[in-house]
Formats: sequence, C-alpha cells, structure tokens
Amino acid sequence: MTFQQFAYRNVIRNSRVYAAFFMASIFSVMVFFIYSMLMFHPNIEDQFLQDIAFGGMLVAEIILIIFTLFFLFYSMSAFLQARSKEFGILLNLGMDREQMDRLIFIETMILGFISIAVGIFFGFSFSKFFFMVIREMFLLDSLPLYLSWKPFALTIFVFLSLFITISISSAMYIRKKEIIQLLKGNWRKSDDVDFTKWKANLGFGLLLAAYSLVIISTYYMNIEMSIIIIILATVGTYYFFTDSILYLLHQIRKRKNLYWHRYRLIAFAEVSIKIRENARMFFIVTIVSTIAFLSVGVVTSFSTFTGQYRALNPVSIFYSSNWDNPFEREHIMKITNQLQSDNLSYELVKFNVKKQTSSSNGEVVHLIRESEINSLAISLKYPILDLPAGKAQFLTDIKETMGNDNEQEVQTVLAESSVPIYIQGVYDYQLFPSFVMDKQTIIISDEDYRLINEPLMGYGVNESNITYYAFHVPEWLRTKNVGTDLVNIMTSSLANTNHNPNPFYFENPGLDYSVIQATFSLLLFTGLLVAAVLLLAAGSFVYFKLYTDLERDKKQYDVLRRMGVTDRELVKIVNRLLIPQFFLPWGLAMVHSTFSFLFLQALWVDLAAISIAMEMLLVLAAFTLIQVSYFYLIRWRYIAHIQI
Amino acid sequence: MSILKLDEVTKVYEGKVAHLAVNLLSFEVEKGEFLAVMGPSGSGKTTLLNIISTIDTPTSGDLLINDINPLNLPKNELSLFRRKHLGFVFQNFNLLPALTVEENMILPLTLDDQPVEEMKKKVKILAEQLNLTSILEKRPAEISGGQAQRTAIGRALIHEPSLILADEPTGNLDSKSAKDVLEILTEVNKKRQTTIIMVTHDPTAASYCDRVLFIKDGQYFNEIYKDDRRQTFFQRILNVLSLLGGNVNDLSTIRLS
Repeated sequence: MTFQQFAYRNVIRNSRVYAAFFMASIFSVMVFFIYSMLMFHPNIEDQFLQDIAFGGMLVAEIILIIFTLFFLFYSMSAFLQARSKEFGILLNLGMDREQMDRLIFIETMILGFISIAVGIFFGFSFSKFFFMVIREMFLLDSLPLYLSWKPFALTIFVFLSLFITISISSAMYIRKKEIIQLLKGNWRKSDDVDFTKWKANLGFGLLLAAYSLVIISTYYMNIEMSIIIIILATVGTYYFFTDSILYLLHQIRKRKNLYWHRYRLIAFAEVSIKIRENARMFFIVTIVSTIAFLSVGVVTSFSTFTGQYRALNPVSIFYSSNWDNPFEREHIMKITNQLQSDNLSYELVKFNVKKQTSSSNGEVVHLIRESEINSLAISLKYPILDLPAGKAQFLTDIKETMGNDNEQEVQTVLAESSVPIYIQGVYDYQLFPSFVMDKQTIIISDEDYRLINEPLMGYGVNESNITYYAFHVPEWLRTKNVGTDLVNIMTSSLANTNHNPNPFYFENPGLDYSVIQATFSLLLFTGLLVAAVLLLAAGSFVYFKLYTDLERDKKQYDVLRRMGVTDRELVKIVNRLLIPQFFLPWGLAMVHSTFSFLFLQALWVDLAAISIAMEMLLVLAAFTLIQVSYFYLIRWRYIAHIQI
Repeated sequence: MSILKLDEVTKVYEGKVAHLAVNLLSFEVEKGEFLAVMGPSGSGKTTLLNIISTIDTPTSGDLLINDINPLNLPKNELSLFRRKHLGFVFQNFNLLPALTVEENMILPLTLDDQPVEEMKKKVKILAEQLNLTSILEKRPAEISGGQAQRTAIGRALIHEPSLILADEPTGNLDSKSAKDVLEILTEVNKKRQTTIIMVTHDPTAASYCDRVLFIKDGQYFNEIYKDDRRQTFFQRILNVLSLLGGNVNDLSTIRLS
C-alpha cells in the first residue's frame, strides 16, 4: 500500500462521515459554476442586462466564496478533531510530522478534486435549465448553452485555491498538538463556559438599539440610517452569540428553581457548551440567512408589485406634448410604427387638455373632457362617467392623494372662460403618470368643455393646451423596444432635475417594468440559490459538530440510560439540545428579517404605495418549513447514532 | 431478606461463534450486604453486572430485585425501575462534564422532578458525608479522581436506591484515593444499610466487603466470607485468586501422573 493509497482509502472508507460535507461542497461548487456560466455568457447582447448579470453574479460568487471558505475550514477542523486519535496513533507508530502534513494535504485534495469534478459536472448539466429560467425572466429571445473555458477555469481556480488554503491551515491545526493530546482525543479546552458581562450587555444593547432605530424609521424615514442599523445589528449579533446568550443561560442556571428541573439541567448545561463552541458559526449563519431571507422576501413581493404597478400605470405608453412641440407628429409616427413592426395591437386615445384658473383657490387646473376619459376607460375596462353640464370630478393622482384627502366637493368658476362647475367626488383610477399631473386635473362634461374658449391668462389662443397620447397595448410587457430613444432623452434630461426642459414627456411602463423585473428576478434567483447553499451548509455543519462529539455524547447517554432515563425522555433531552442549535441562529435571523422588512416596508411606502407584508410572511413561513424538516432529518440520524 | 436473587442465569452471545458468557449462575444478596464479585478477565463479570443492571437480558434463568422480576417489565417501566431501585458507580466516573459536582449529584432527582428544596437538603447532607462541600461548584475537569469518584457515589446514593452497582470503582484511582472511596462505600453500607455489589480486580478492594464471590468462565467458582480481621480476609482472597489464576485442572493432572 502506497502512501497515496493510504490517504485515498482513509477518505473512501470514511465516506459516510464525509457524506454531508461532500453534499454541501459539491452543491456550492455547482452553484458557483452555474453563476460563472451566466457571468461569461457571450450571447447577452443587451449591455444593461450584461451589467446586471455580471454584477449580480459577481456579488453572489463573492458571498459564496467567503462562506465556503468558512464552511470548509470549520468542517475540516471538526473532522480532524474527530479523527485526532487516529493521528495520534500514526504519530506514535513513527510517522513524522511532514508525512502527516502530506497525508492531510492529500486527503483534503482528494476531497477537493471529487467535489470540484462532481460539482462542475452537475453544474454543467443544470446550466441549460438555469439559462431557460433566466431567458424567461429577462424575456430574451434565446440564451443557448455554450462551451467556453472561462467558467471552468474560474471555478477550478477558485475552489482549488480554497482547498489548498484549507488543507495547509488544517495541517497546521493538527501540527500544534502533542501526541498525547491527540491520543486523548478531544482537546476541548474545558467544559467551562466563559463570557464577559459587559460584552453580553453590549450584545443586547446593540440589538435593542438597532431594532429601536428601525421602529423610529417607520415614522421618520431616513435612508442613511440603514447603514447605522446594519452595523449595530451585525456587531450586536456577534456579541449576542459569543457572550449575551451565555450570560442569559448563566442567569437561568443561577436560579435553581428554574434550572433544577427534569431535562433542563442537562439541556442547559450542554447547550451552553455547544453555543460557546459554535458561536462564530452561528453568527455567520445568522447574518447570511438574514441576507438570504431578505433577498428572497423582497423578490417574492414582486408579484404584488406587478399587480400594483399595473394599477399605477394602466396606460401602456404615454406621450404628452406641449403646444410648442415641433416633434409631435414625428414621435407619434415613430411610436406607432414601432408598435406595428413588433406586431403589437394598440388603441390610441388622444386627450386635448385645457388649462384654466380655478376661482376657488386661484390655481391653474388641467381640464379633460368626459368623452375622452370614457374612451380610455372602455379600453382599460374601467367604469365610464356620465357627467351632466356643470358637474365635474377630480382625477385622482395616487401619489398626491396619499395621506391628504382632497376636498371632495368644490364649487368653483373657471375664471378665464367664466364657466361655473360643481366638482363632486373623485374618479379614483390613476390614468396618467404622476409626472404630468403636476396640476390638479378635473374631468368636466363635454358641454362645459366646449364653453372653454379663452386661453389661460397671459397666453395665446392655443398656448394653454396640452395633448396627451395614451396608447393601450394589451401585451404591455412586450413594449420594451418602443420609444427607447425617447426614454433615453427623458432619463438624461431628468437625471438631475425634476423640471422637464423638453416640450414633450414620454413614459413606457413596459420598459421600466422589464428593467425592474429583470433586476428583481436576478436578485431572487441569486438569493434563492445562495440561501439554499447556506441552509444546506449550516445544517450539515450542525451535523458534523454532533458527529465530532458523538463519542462523548454516546457515553453520556449510556450513563443516563443506566440511571433510568426512558427512551422517550432521552428524545426530550435530545430535542432540548438540538432545538437551540438549529433554531437559535435561525430565530435571530427571522427577527432580523422581520425588522428589516419593517424598514423596507417603510421605505417602500415612500417609493410607491406597495404593501409587502403578506409576501414576507409567506417567505418566512416557507423557510421555517424547510428548517423544521431539516431539523427532523438530523435529529433522526442523531438519535439513530446514540441508540445502540 | 434477600434483595437480589439470581436463579440459573445464563447468557449466550449469538454470533458466528456462540459465546457462553454466563453459565447457570445462581446466588442471592441479602439486604445491607456488601458483595464483591471477582474473577479473571473474560470471566463474565461485566455481563453479570449488566444483567443485574437490567440493561442486558439473560438468555435463560430468572432475576429478582426487591421481589420484582425486571425481565417482565416493559421497556419504559424498566427504566423507571432502574431509576428507583438502582444506583451506579463506574470505573471512569462517567460524570457529565458540563455539570458541576453539585449538579451531577442531583441529576437523578431532577429526572424525578423533585422539589428543589428537597434536592438542596439532600445534597447538603451527602456532600458533608462525602467530604465534597468545598468543591460543589467545581466541574469534573477541575477535580481529582478521588473527588470525582466520591461525586459519582453521591450521585448513586442521592435517590436512596435499594441496590448500588459498582463496576471497578477503584480501577482508575491511586491507592490513597482508592482507600478513601472504599472506606466511604463501607461507611455508606453500614450507616445507610445500602446493599452494594462491587465488581473488582483488586483484592484490597474486595477485602472491604462482607463476602466475595468468585466466578470463572461465567460459572460460579467459590465464595468466601469476611472474618474479624481484614488482613486475613485479604490473604484468603489472594489464595482463591491464585487458584483461579493458575489452572486448577492442570495441577491435578500433574499430581495424578
């Protein structure tokens, strides 16, 4: 048997031990590879899409690498610890330290090679499927599978260096120990639980401060606050796991009436030790789970967003033209031509909007004819209006009316033309973009409209008129190619100012929507995959840790069983031991996410009137379900191990 | 009154090669007796202790503890039976490392959900008797072997079981600590009238008992009772051991030839 064979057999014959580890690292290689496949895709022509694809994937990959590094390092040292007796024997038999380093190196590299090979194999197999999903999301025409050396090279390079780093550092880990320590097995320092009181209080304080800031922000929104909240929460979480929770357990243990009770005695004592040993891991899991929950939650809320976006932007393409606009004919021609060439059916409603001064408050108002509103309402399947002469209705602008109720009934006179109208109620549908509704818009009857002959004070005959062109396109999601040059003009001239210097205004909600949707979907996909990797890794890490301590735990349970603990009671003790390890990092991540959602919700309301509470609840529930089933799986394995 | 009664207990380990670990073993232990079980390695001592501990079942034969046959009890009640009637002391102490000395001692009581005041009282009395009062807050890693074993004895005694089973309680201790532990066991046996069965290799340890039962290859070999002086009892134990260790049959063949 050669040295390499020896190392190889060590890995293969321990494959049951390594199974969970393999699964997690293969999965992370796979996800990494799929991401890099998208990152290097040659066929994404759209520059904008390429930017988000590349940027989004890059961030996801960096998160993955950092996490995988931690994960590999922790699990490698857990394994080596579990096998320390074996290493002790080898050293005792005369293996020198250099050979030992080589043994560990070869073993780790075997693990690494297998993980990388299998991970890339699965990654490549699933790439086509991934591309199909991405194509649907971005509404691309095609996103074929391609073969290039780049994603392979990147994945192999990154993970090979990861595994080399890990194998060298874990060899160092063993190196420092004396043979006698290795032979004795567990080199846990002591079973004592140490914490610092001020750090414990700091942990609680920081978390409390972060949460309070979130609650304050729901009243006084301040985006800069979010950075402070994130820092407070992150540092708070760290101290929470390293000190606060131990302090809390210590306080409970001091109260004998609470502590000296059935299973609590063993459970609390053991849990304190496990938490102290895994504090950093718990911290990482909490933070990353929070990020994963958040990205998934935000994106899930997108389905709500679609519905509400449509309600806010019912007109598929909107063009408004001032009286002095020389491009009006040219632009409308262009838009209709593009719609026709894309095979999109449309209905066009033209609005002649007149400006007058309202006598009741002396402000300029926009006036729209009832029959024009009705022809758009019919296309959009909104209720139609029937206004008698002299009556009128406000046209709602959701952003404007948010919070302050408009006067519902106003008697006024349109000053220039001396037309008296009685405004009663609101036509409660957002028809035009908020941008053009900078003045109060009133729908008046056709009879009254005809009576408005005089221009706005100080303007020429036609100078107080605006024309709106509202295109209703049933397939509004496909309009993203229409009027892109107009959109570019709008974005460049409105980038820094709220004042429109152009004599026209253009809005294409379909295009805006496709951009928002693509960004969100990418976030969702990235978030989902990263979350999946993390959940898997976090779960298997708990499993390794349990496995490492299995010998010690077995002995304990044997003593307990002799002492007359029934099997049912043993399961109860195991529950109390496992539940905190599974649900503590996770519960804190939940609380973090809930508060983050509160913050987002507040932020969202400022951006647009959208409620994301329901979606967030769903996401949290789904993750809980996954976590619970994972808990049962691991508990089942653990109990099977200790019941012999 | 006998607290433990074994009647032709036999244990066969099935397998590719069936192994007869305990063979038709019968004996009784009186209430308040301190019994040592001795025998060479592989003689079935541990199997015997496991059977008495009710964590292993004999292939045939009957076992009565306090007039209850644990073999007839369902699994769950068997656990409760152990909890009520038996106390254990191990060679490796087997204290739970996460718990303090005090917490280790009260462990059996917490499982029974007894009032905290009661537990505090019992710990206080026992700790004084076992000379553990000064180290109650320490953890098993911070105390000596002798202290650890005394803690384990405290754990075995606290719920006042009718039978204490000790498996090589002095096997991991230096001679001074071993002496301490044995003296404490004797004292507990005398003062509390607790019945103790101790499996041991060590003739010195056995000489503290009332009676020593010798088994060999799973079978009853001999038994001797203590006399007035521990020294002579010790000598007699050594004599039997030399018989046990050397092959008796060999000797007789030599004589016959």
